[in-house]
Amino acid sequence: MPSIKIDGREVPYEPGDTIIKAAHRAGIDIPHYCWHPGLSVAANCRMCLVEVVPPPGKGNVMRLDVLRWDAASKKYVSDKKPKLQPACQWSCDDGMQVFSESSPHVSEARKAVQELLLLNHPVDCPICDQAGECRLQDYWLEHGRYRKRMKDEIIHKPKAVSFGPTIVYDAERCIVCTRCVRFVEEVAKDPVLEKRERGNLGEIFVAPGRTLDNNYTLMTEHVCPVGALTAKDFRFKARVWFLRTARTVCQGCATGCNAYLDYDPRSMKVYRHRPRENAQVNQYWMCDKGMLSYREAHERRVLRARVGGNEVGVKEALEEVKALLAGVKGDKVAFVLSAQHSNEDNHALVSLAKGSLGGADFFLTGRAPGQADGVLMVEDRNPNTAGAIQVATTTPPRQMSDLLEAIKNGRYTHVIALGAEVPVDAKTLAGLERLKTVVIAAHEGPLTRVAKVVLPACSWAEAEGTYVNAKNLAQRSERAITAQGDSQPGWQWVVAVAQALGHKIGFSKLSELRKSLSGAPTAASASV
Amino acid sequence: MINRTKLISRTYDLPEGHTLAAYESVGGYKSARKALAQTRDQVINEVKAANIRGRGGAGFPCGVKWSFMPKASAKPHYLVINADEGEPGTFKDRTIMEKNPHSVVEGCIIGCYAIGAHAAYIYVRDELHLSKERLWQAIHEARKAGYLGQKALGFDYPVDVFVHTGAGAYICGEETSLLNSLEGRRGEPRLKPPFPAQVGAFGCPSTVNNLETIAAVPLVFEVGGDSFSQMSALHHLKDGGVRLFGVSGHVRTPGVFETAVGLTLRELVYELGGGPLPGSKVLGVIPGGSSCPILRPEDVVNAPDEKSPLHPWHGKPVFDVPMGVDTYRALGTMLGTCCAIVLSDKADPVLAFHNIMRFYRHESCGQCTPCREGTGWIERILDKLVAGEATMADIDLLHEIGSNIIGNTICAFGEGAAMPVLGFVQKFRPELEAYVNSKGKSGTGRLAL
Repeated sequence: MPSIKIDGREVPYEPGDTIIKAAHRAGIDIPHYCWHPGLSVAANCRMCLVEVVPPPGKGNVMRLDVLRWDAASKKYVSDKKPKLQPACQWSCDDGMQVFSESSPHVSEARKAVQELLLLNHPVDCPICDQAGECRLQDYWLEHGRYRKRMKDEIIHKPKAVSFGPTIVYDAERCIVCTRCVRFVEEVAKDPVLEKRERGNLGEIFVAPGRTLDNNYTLMTEHVCPVGALTAKDFRFKARVWFLRTARTVCQGCATGCNAYLDYDPRSMKVYRHRPRENAQVNQYWMCDKGMLSYREAHERRVLRARVGGNEVGVKEALEEVKALLAGVKGDKVAFVLSAQHSNEDNHALVSLAKGSLGGADFFLTGRAPGQADGVLMVEDRNPNTAGAIQVATTTPPRQMSDLLEAIKNGRYTHVIALGAEVPVDAKTLAGLERLKTVVIAAHEGPLTRVAKVVLPACSWAEAEGTYVNAKNLAQRSERAITAQGDSQPGWQWVVAVAQALGHKIGFSKLSELRKSLSGAPTAASASV
Repeated sequence: MINRTKLISRTYDLPEGHTLAAYESVGGYKSARKALAQTRDQVINEVKAANIRGRGGAGFPCGVKWSFMPKASAKPHYLVINADEGEPGTFKDRTIMEKNPHSVVEGCIIGCYAIGAHAAYIYVRDELHLSKERLWQAIHEARKAGYLGQKALGFDYPVDVFVHTGAGAYICGEETSLLNSLEGRRGEPRLKPPFPAQVGAFGCPSTVNNLETIAAVPLVFEVGGDSFSQMSALHHLKDGGVRLFGVSGHVRTPGVFETAVGLTLRELVYELGGGPLPGSKVLGVIPGGSSCPILRPEDVVNAPDEKSPLHPWHGKPVFDVPMGVDTYRALGTMLGTCCAIVLSDKADPVLAFHNIMRFYRHESCGQCTPCREGTGWIERILDKLVAGEATMADIDLLHEIGSNIIGNTICAFGEGAAMPVLGFVQKFRPELEAYVNSKGKSGTGRLAL
């Protein structure tokens, strides 16, 4: 493999790589604002300038005339500097030498760029949501550390401009790196942002007659390296340095975008979803719906057990389950798996059915399909359809409509279900009300309304779980916050039900469950 | 001795000199006929031999540029003519468009043939209304005569020429901004590579030539490439032929003059320009448009190295160095567009400096950080200086900001804006300091005389 040297370190590259890409892959950080691995190269911030010595025989470094002031002699002195190149634009060449941290010319150039970027910046960090994750702050410490020399009033530009339902723009904080412009054009395929004015009056604006309202507006905030674009949803809600982060899988659709779920460990409150890079799944992106779905950690939650619509304690609920299921034969029970629950939860229910109760009639439920958007969002709005089907192994689950048909024919007396959502009209569930139905669910939905007993399950935010996406990739999602209310992971409820009925299910810890599950083709390719 | 010529400007003094009839009366379109009878490579080699250095400022050899175009490609090729002429102090291309537009059309026919293009776009600065009108008129006449069209000049080679109007941005004189603007995009420089010869106008291989460069091309085929180059006193430096020199500012007879390459600044200012205005002396000359560092009459060539193109003039005044691309680069300034701006000792150099930097702040496209913020910072410091509010520390920033723009930007605008800064601070530091000490009252207070 061909290679270049960065500050003396051998870095291999793939043909066509730019310096920054090769460095990025090798874990070497070359400071940058405008470059983004998922967007075209703009090379406009000039923060990634490096000194490049071409391979022997392939040209020389151009040397440029500059001027220094010699305070002692009170005279200008001519000096030379090498022509620096943007690492984001310059292609690797075998044997090329790059000086980044080790070049005084590079340090000088980066310091100058840093000073210029902050020249007309309001430095309003205390009231800026980007504070704590802002490159202007990070790089000032790393590459700036100068005292402010431009002491005049900064250039004032529009502030708090609403770009649409989700995003607010502050032109004074903007460094016009055009990441947002490139993102909406190249990834969201909706070129609704552009740059206007010129020189240091430049600003981003929304195309006349439009607002920023596609499926990926929140991504513009995430690609923005500074506080110019902020999300209305997150504005003034939290200081990022108080937040902790779990690596999760988005629950919004079968794409299974990798995400970070940010929460405050003091209040156990979830604040936002952010995209987490995964080249096989979502690259660097997430849709608005997915990002805003962090709210599901707290909204519409089932937090207490219910019997006949009345909240009860955990113990009471289990006793009621025991009474309901006492002496029931497995073939009179419909087991409803959920495309919204993890492999672990579904596997527990399958184990209960097959091992404990001797049943084999599985059905699959989940959210009704939506529209695919051709970017990330797919029709299947459930995170684990493939996983639930795989977990059922030799007894593939049937459709919800089949269950309703069977109920009409009096096939079942009992239903044990994971999840609350159904892909059918809620009215058609009326038949279920006559049966003895136990529902283990994290959220309120049509099934929790018809259930005799509802057991509060943890949402993805409170439980570890494995989800298999539409491309058959099993991905593990970490726990963020602790369980809310009386909720427990779905699989734990199943174990509790088995124990209440006096059955052995073969596992009582997550590790044991996973061992039991490992026969199924799931967790092996987990990405986390 | 000044070697004045009348080749590019041969129709300037003819009645109705801009018409086809006038152009043909002095041999017009014979060169294109000659060229189209040759092979593409022959044409390129002839122009290489002529050593036409690009007349737009960068001085790149025209024939070499043409040779970068792919020989065979699936995409169409385009010739783009840069007539944005926005460099302050520069007004030479305008005279060609107004008074000899057919030389441009003929040059386009030869240029298109040489690079395998069938269409040429002439990108004209918006304000030059008569130029656009004259060019269109010439194009219509040439089309009617069958010189343009499916069979240009009767040869089996289609050529057509179009005029495209800019919208008044200096940066659109930068070739890749020009291409963006031509395509209807925001006029911002593109990243290079790819160079226009690979990906130019509309994503196709393109060559961008300055208007005067293309207007000189027919002359090459009239006299032969080598003979054309030999007209220049700098033939040995591969800087050939004749070109237009402009002089403006505080001189008695400002204007555009055609001479062989090799004219000295002293000849341009004191003879063709008639010298400084009565009762005044030359304080300094900006040799080739505002981005070229200023030269002062007392400046002396320092080139002890025998290999330097300037060595023959070592120890002599810089005003006596022949104006060539390489000689001027070695002087630490630029030949640029060859249009000098003369500053009188009765005018205030600090105000001139301020004026130039206001221009660059206003015209920076704002794409990359050093130029966008640097030009603005420099202008602010000079605003304060002129208002009597600057400190010595402010003056000490100027060269540093300039030095940090140079080389660190996407396009050459950065250098164009920063080089005059370095030039002015080096040559007028006492005047700048006096402005601080006198709170802005030390200068003559006048820029125009």
